[in-house]
Amino acid sequence: MTPVAGTPAAPSLALSDVDGKTVDLAAHRGRLVLVNFWATWCPPCRREFPSLGRVQKLFRPSDLAVLAVNVGEDAETIFSFTGATDVTILLDRDSAAMQRWPVKGLPTTFIVDRQGRLALRAVGGRDFDGPAIVAQMRALLKNT
Amino acid sequence: MALAMLAGAAQSQSPWHGARDGVEVKATALTRPAVLAFYQARGFSAEAVAPYADACVFSFEVRNAGKSALRMNLADWRAAGRQGGARFTLPDEWDANWAGRGVPQAARIAFRWAQFQAEQEFAPGDWIMGMTALERRIAGPFRLTLRFSDKNRQHEIAIDNITCASLD
Repeated sequence: MTPVAGTPAAPSLALSDVDGKTVDLAAHRGRLVLVNFWATWCPPCRREFPSLGRVQKLFRPSDLAVLAVNVGEDAETIFSFTGATDVTILLDRDSAAMQRWPVKGLPTTFIVDRQGRLALRAVGGRDFDGPAIVAQMRALLKNT
Repeated sequence: MALAMLAGAAQSQSPWHGARDGVEVKATALTRPAVLAFYQARGFSAEAVAPYADACVFSFEVRNAGKSALRMNLADWRAAGRQGGARFTLPDEWDANWAGRGVPQAARIAFRWAQFQAEQEFAPGDWIMGMTALERRIAGPFRLTLRFSDKNRQHEIAIDNITCASLD
């Protein structure tokens, strides 16, 4: 993943999950947050989605939260792809939340650091539990 | 229907490839039935999406395999054939069309993000897939010129003998 120039503050993100509960990025201050923007019709989004669950298991919950922000789709459509999953899925039905973020295409993924700043970005699919990205995240935990 | 299934099942010829100065491009021509199926699954009526499905539509996969950050503007890309040339219609132009046709918001959102965006910034290792359509169909083979820039200069990738997919 690529460092974000200037590490600006992450834009606001407060959305309902698939169970209707509101999840607010601001409440995760103090841990890393992987924010992934995706849709079920996007092939690289589909390919990388399992790695979101895998990377979540490599870190303590107090160190990392994973938020998968689905753009424009309903819970039924999402569930038909994901099934039951431990990944927190947020619904950005009107894409208003995503438009506040520096996103130019799907999938785009950010790592928000403990201070709530955009630290890393990836455009296009990745394996988030790959050694290089995991090392980047562990370094962020250690150094911030 | 995923874009990969769309391209794999419905392309009328093999994808074209181009590469230069750290950028790798794959272009796949999409047939009318495939485009219709994809967007109807996103909430478009066949009638509403017909102008797009009748156009010369491609799926592009672009990868920054180099060491520099890159910028691309879709407005700078050109197709040039014996009977003239064409640019790609930008996502905002299509969205204005959909708004005028009363396309539901969910379908418009899916369309916008399935497109190759008008402006892209790629860090090394980044890659993007997206669809886009020429402003008019070009008969016969043509050259596609894709322009991009890094902090030092402009670059071009030219891919020859590209054709629009059939409408059938």
